Amino acid sequence: MEEKYLICEDSMEGIFTGIYEAYALREGHEHVHIQIGEEENLRLFADYVHILPDSVKTDKVVRTLRQKLGEHVYHTLCRAAASCYADKGEAVYKTVVDAITAGSGRRVLGNFKNPYVARCFELARFTANEAHYEKEFIRFQELSAKAAKDTPILFSKIGPKNNVVPFVMPHFADRLSIENFMVYDEHRKLFGVHPAKEEWYLVSAGEEFDLRELTYSEKEEEYQELFRVFHRTIGIKSRENKHLQRQMCAYRYQDYMVEFQQK
Amino acid sequence: MLTQGSESRMDIRIAPQMSVMDKLKILGDAAKYDVSCSSSGSSRRNDGQGIGNTVAAGLCHSFAADGRCVSLLKILFTNECIYDCRYCMNRCSNDVPRASFTPDEVCELTMEFYRRNYIEGLFLSSGILYSPNYTMELICETVHRLRTVHRFQGYIHVKAIPGADPLLIQRVGYLADRMSVNLEMATAEGLRAIAPNKHRKTILKPMRQIQNGITENKNELTLYKHAPHFCEAGQSTQMVIGALPESDYQIMSVAENLYDKFSLKRVYYSAFVNVNEDRDLPALAGGPPLLREHRLYQADWLLRFYGFKVDELLTEKRPNFNTAIDPKADWAVRHLEQFPVEINRADYQMLLRIPGVGVKSAGRIVAARRFGNLTFEDLKKIGVVLKRALYFITCGGKMMYPTKLEENYIVQNLVYQNRMGRGEKLPFLPDGTAYRQMSLFDSDTWGQNYRAVGG
Ligand code: SF4
Repeated sequence: MEEKYLICEDSMEGIFTGIYEAYALREGHEHVHIQIGEEENLRLFADYVHILPDSVKTDKVVRTLRQKLGEHVYHTLCRAAASCYADKGEAVYKTVVDAITAGSGRRVLGNFKNPYVARCFELARFTANEAHYEKEFIRFQELSAKAAKDTPILFSKIGPKNNVVPFVMPHFADRLSIENFMVYDEHRKLFGVHPAKEEWYLVSAGEEFDLRELTYSEKEEEYQELFRVFHRTIGIKSRENKHLQRQMCAYRYQDYMVEFQQK
Repeated sequence: MLTQGSESRMDIRIAPQMSVMDKLKILGDAAKYDVSCSSSGSSRRNDGQGIGNTVAAGLCHSFAADGRCVSLLKILFTNECIYDCRYCMNRCSNDVPRASFTPDEVCELTMEFYRRNYIEGLFLSSGILYSPNYTMELICETVHRLRTVHRFQGYIHVKAIPGADPLLIQRVGYLADRMSVNLEMATAEGLRAIAPNKHRKTILKPMRQIQNGITENKNELTLYKHAPHFCEAGQSTQMVIGALPESDYQIMSVAENLYDKFSLKRVYYSAFVNVNEDRDLPALAGGPPLLREHRLYQADWLLRFYGFKVDELLTEKRPNFNTAIDPKADWAVRHLEQFPVEINRADYQMLLRIPGVGVKSAGRIVAARRFGNLTFEDLKKIGVVLKRALYFITCGGKMMYPTKLEENYIVQNLVYQNRMGRGEKLPFLPDGTAYRQMSLFDSDTWGQNYRAVGG
């Protein structure tokens, strides 16, 4: 039988719509695959179908997954779908097949013997780890009152590998509930926005968005300097271990953290 | 000179011209030998009225140049001190620059650091200014302002000053997530020798008070859901390692006692640094005893999460750990009669005792076994460190390689792996000379993930 590739958008919506379509085909799942974005080398005897993300179909899939597999499995699938690796679509899809069609259900994640499940688990863990690190390492800077219409806005720029903004926003929305804040993923040009005491939301940055136009509050530089000094002071000289420091907090995070910026 | 009005008191000793920056330099520096930086153990959502929450597992926010986690704004309120502990930089006989914060300065630093996500909260300790009560009152005032005026809901760890009025300690307990009193030395004689103004009894008294406070509070909370929390994240303590000739067995037995009899959440071990170049204390040419400290933390982990007892790990006859291998492997090679363990059948408790298998992987093994027999390949995916575990396990009755079940042979292999940098990941450089240490670890296999939040 000919292999069929469903080409989906690189987003949670894209992948869940793909899963909806894969089931709608009713051709079994052995020869159906989900692929994220275009592949450069097209396979000769394969059928390629382009799938457009669709919110109604996504909602249906999400509802089914939550109901049948529970929140834990559902969240794991979401994290895997937010991964930066291209094989995530296939991994999430085939894990759903294992759970729903093959019947492992809520216990699906224990089925390490299925390579797709193992992969899905691995991808989800990578996203979860990175989201965890960002909760720790995100640094907010206070924008000047002018830019923020008289109420301070806290702004943070990050450069994560996976699409973690949706996973860090709930954490800060609770913690900083009375603050206006934004988390900006500069790779995906994606904002998480939280207006004080309101719900947070995601928004794509327009072309015209330019970081250099942001101005910072008067106090901002002072607190950054205070923290840099504290950070320098707290290390014990006779135990210095930059290797360990780097292992615990990789350069790719350090690049965005005020205490590692030499001033 | 001390005036008694509570308002004017503060201003007397505090040089008004000293900037917050200069104070932070002095009082951050003076606090750094306190090991704990954990922000775990409290779980509190934000109430929408102020800033902050706490997460049960705690969060690190940065890592210092020594690789230790920075979770809390760890500072002394003041480094003035009337005592003369020999291991301490701030002892009264030392001529060092002195500084004190005001409560407002501490509050402002905490709030501004916190909203920028630099920190998870405040760890406030202090030297003793005038008297334990005087100091404790200032600390109490600071934390009270932070909670009420600033409505701060993040993590607060406060050091109780031994000798302070129990009422003050109680008041702070209702404001803080965690309190700690440092035991300092494993033995009472040790303490006497090194800290002439401190007494074991005065240290254990507030420790007991906090323990009782926590227990009573738990009862209150079952009756009244909205009763205020008392040290929700429990209490911790710290012992200095290597300043006096105490054995690992003595130290671990004290730790076990503290866990069992005082319900401590954490015991921290701090490799001795001879900051005062005190001639009667060891000079420790190779730097602080970091490898030993590391082994103690590993053993501590075994007590708390792996169901081990100190008497299984050490004895009067063999009072110190073999620093060449980790305490769990050390235990296993001395109990080879219990191995090899069949992965597909062993119960959870036994799985935990296999070197190379951690709490998480033991759990995953139990879950994955339901889908059929596990192979070595599966174990690898689960996160078992096979090069350590292979001497101790079988899968479906077979060992991974033919290997001798013999103490010397296994120890040699494990040590060899370590030396080649392929075995246990020590948090130090692999050249074997510069043993360097982190703060802590929380991981399946020793050393994957050295983070101080695990407690
Ligand atoms: S009481 Fe002892 S350890 Fe504490 S600050 Fe004073 S001299 Fe140092």
